[in-house]
Amino acid sequence: MAKNNKKKMFAQRLVCSRMNFLYQAAHLMAEDSHNTLGAYYGKLCRNVGTKAMMHMAPALKRTLCKRCSLPLIPGVNTSLSVPQAKEQTAAPKTGKKRHRRQRSKKQAGQKTETQPKASTVDEHTLLQMECALCQGRRCFVVDSQRECWLEQPQALVEVLDIEADEGEGQQTQAQAQ
Amino acid sequence: MEPLLEYITDLVVTHHRCNVNIIPEHITMLEGAKSRKQHSSKRRSHKSSTLSRREYARLGLNTLPTRQMRYEQVLPLHQLWRSYVREHLGLREGTQVPEVHEPHYEEFSKQLIKLDLHGARLKVIQSKCKTLEGLAGICVMDTKNVLKLLGEDDRLRTVPKSECVFGLSVGNMNFTIFGQHLTIRPAERSVKKIKTYLQPFI
Repeated sequence: MAKNNKKKMFAQRLVCSRMNFLYQAAHLMAEDSHNTLGAYYGKLCRNVGTKAMMHMAPALKRTLCKRCSLPLIPGVNTSLSVPQAKEQTAAPKTGKKRHRRQRSKKQAGQKTETQPKASTVDEHTLLQMECALCQGRRCFVVDSQRECWLEQPQALVEVLDIEADEGEGQQTQAQAQ
Repeated sequence: MEPLLEYITDLVVTHHRCNVNIIPEHITMLEGAKSRKQHSSKRRSHKSSTLSRREYARLGLNTLPTRQMRYEQVLPLHQLWRSYVREHLGLREGTQVPEVHEPHYEEFSKQLIKLDLHGARLKVIQSKCKTLEGLAGICVMDTKNVLKLLGEDDRLRTVPKSECVFGLSVGNMNFTIFGQHLTIRPAERSVKKIKTYLQPFI
């Protein structure tokens, strides 16, 4: 049993390291503004995962554009914004004021990041990311408390240690049902 | 109704127009408005979700410029690839390439085929086409039948796989790979079963 398990882990290790490499390569190319190559590596990383039935961690998966698989790096190829109409319906008057303050901050400091926004805006606000290449938009709720199931500690069954792995953000996770 | 009658009478020869008698009950109008609306809404929803092949090509994601990329720009990719190879083949300092008679050999060569080639520095050692021999560069793109190498003179060259023998060096180890073994789609490479025997062409 133990031997079988070890063998299985070994087979997945190659795919895992390959996906890790491709993800990093995609980021490297996207930072250098080689959009074609960045999208190509991102797509390949995703395809390798589908073929080998491996899942990316949700946090990593969200950093790839859903339409063109380009790694989304805020300030380089992604614009962050708070969609206005939806926010007004969610938070009536106080939210509007907060939002205006947020806007002036944005103009002053050009490159915005997710962190300061999360602290000032209330937790139901949506954050919209727009990919500069394909104009694909995705919205995420700015709420540090809310986590999807895979990120919660109960979802973790066991942690496999790979000796050769440098631990570059990819942890092998076995997930519970 | 009025413009329709006018249109129909216009189709008739001029001197017979006075004889035209149209009974309005015989005309059936087809309602086109609803179906068009349905059509457009379907299209709109499709557009937002995924990128079609045509849109993908229109964004220029299928084409790579031949001369615009610099060799220095891909060097970090090469560095990244080096560390990836160490991890993939399980290399440590002082590891030797296993000999043919060793039991470890077959597994090692299978792993070598499954290796991802993006970022590798490759050299064409032997080829059916004599002009391809001696080309060297960092592999940027890898498709089923073709490798795209970026040479040191900042030019992107397309090299067919099946006609060539590639040389690859990792640290102090030198590998020779027959291009025939590499003709797998890159996404399937890590999953596909590999033939143990292939006929060499030269």
